[in-house]
Amino acid sequence: MPKFPSSQWVEEYAKKLNENDAYKDAGKTWEGDLVFVVEKDQSFPKDVYIYLDLYHGECRKAVYAESLDQIPKAAFTYKGPYSNWRRLINKEIDPIQGILTGKFKLEGSMMKIMRYTKAAKEMVNTATMVQTEF
Amino acid sequence: MWFFRSPEIVFGEDSLSYLSTLDLKRVVIVTDRYLKESKVISMVKNSLPASAQIVVVGDVPAEPSFDDMLPSLENVRNFSPDWFIAVGGGSSIDTAKILFALYERPDLSVYDITPIVKLNLRKKSRLIAIPTTSGTGSECSWAAVVSERGEKRKNELASKEILPDIAILDPKMVIDLPEEQTRNTATDAIVHAIESYVSSWRNPYSDALAEKAIELITGNLPSVLIKADNIKAREQVHIGASMAGLSFSNSQIGLAHALGHAFGALFKIPHGKSVGIFLPSVVRFNYPYCSDRYDRLNAIFPEDIREKKLDLTLENFLNKIGQPLKIHQMGIDEKNYSNQVETIVELASESTGITTNPRDANREDIRNIAMSVVNLSK
Ligand SMILES: [Fe+2]
Repeated sequence: MPKFPSSQWVEEYAKKLNENDAYKDAGKTWEGDLVFVVEKDQSFPKDVYIYLDLYHGECRKAVYAESLDQIPKAAFTYKGPYSNWRRLINKEIDPIQGILTGKFKLEGSMMKIMRYTKAAKEMVNTATMVQTEF
Repeated sequence: MWFFRSPEIVFGEDSLSYLSTLDLKRVVIVTDRYLKESKVISMVKNSLPASAQIVVVGDVPAEPSFDDMLPSLENVRNFSPDWFIAVGGGSSIDTAKILFALYERPDLSVYDITPIVKLNLRKKSRLIAIPTTSGTGSECSWAAVVSERGEKRKNELASKEILPDIAILDPKMVIDLPEEQTRNTATDAIVHAIESYVSSWRNPYSDALAEKAIELITGNLPSVLIKADNIKAREQVHIGASMAGLSFSNSQIGLAHALGHAFGALFKIPHGKSVGIFLPSVVRFNYPYCSDRYDRLNAIFPEDIREKKLDLTLENFLNKIGQPLKIHQMGIDEKNYSNQVETIVELASESTGITTNPRDANREDIRNIAMSVVNLSK
């Protein structure tokens, strides 16, 4: 069972995302890469990064990195402390409500994201499909 | 963690007179061209302190685009108001929200009006909303809809900072609302209450307001439609509609709005009609996922129109008040509609209402609901 966050987890996540027809459908017009930043907190010692290149419902590239210079600069960043990521993956936080309540921060065009809330929801659903160890 | 946000609400008979108690010096009244010369604008002007200077921005078109607002923004900036008063339906109130934000912050673009940008408004002015329809809920919401010129898509802007400071619900402001608009806007309010009650963002505050909204609207709308100047019944519907507005503004809407926005934009259908027509089918689709909640709402409808299930009660109710349940009743050609159904499905899939709907809907589900309003066997 892959541990979150790790390169095994990211690999498994990207695989599941590409198998998820609901995501494929919701993200079929999306073009843009994004970075998930898992920030350090009491339960996690360092910031780590998950880079995803998403294009027309497909995840073309997924990279786990422990430093920003290991990944390309992305159009969107979604970041929050490790404990909130854990709650997000356990479906205790809604990804958009997470932004509105300050549990996560979004950098990039909110307007664009708002047209893809279904895709965002499917991305979280996919994360719940990965057998995850915390 | 979640929030409950509301303006200060002044309601009931003579509530307009509250304006005279405020320190209003330079007032911009934002309204549409139909109301500009009307009795309601005179009533608002007459309620202002005698010393107040007034400029009327009276050219808000229905479903305004940002470009439509630019000349008014120039006027507003030249006048330097300390208060904005929106008088009208959703379009006027939404326009006032945008003018207010961009007057406060000339350095911002309309696309900065999102929940993730700190706007820091209210350095120069404040915002009052006085609805002249009972339904949109815009007076109580932190959202504003702006069309994109030449595009079918509408932008849903949102920021807690554009929530009006004060909402005034004076029944005199809706007493002359024509029957057609009374029905359409009240239908919109019913859809707000029902969608918010089962939204995945629902909460105890939005629940309580939705329940009361259904009680007030369904209990009083038939009387208003029989006797348009029944001011007591008008007042109850007006309050109910704002409660429905508060309810969805603090939770979310759902699939009927996702479909209704798309359908309304494509076929130029008034908002209330375009969301109402899909409501029974959406409720039917969602039923297995929230049957307890729907049954609870169903029990609030007046006994004489209540059926066993909410979807049937709604059909009965909408039929009784004269709202269409099929598109041919709106004079829309079914073939033409069927040809455009993929565009409706596409636009609806991009709406935020789709994610907070209690049951996940894929394209096929959305298409089925979109086609449920076509009566091919007719
Ligand atoms: Fe609505």
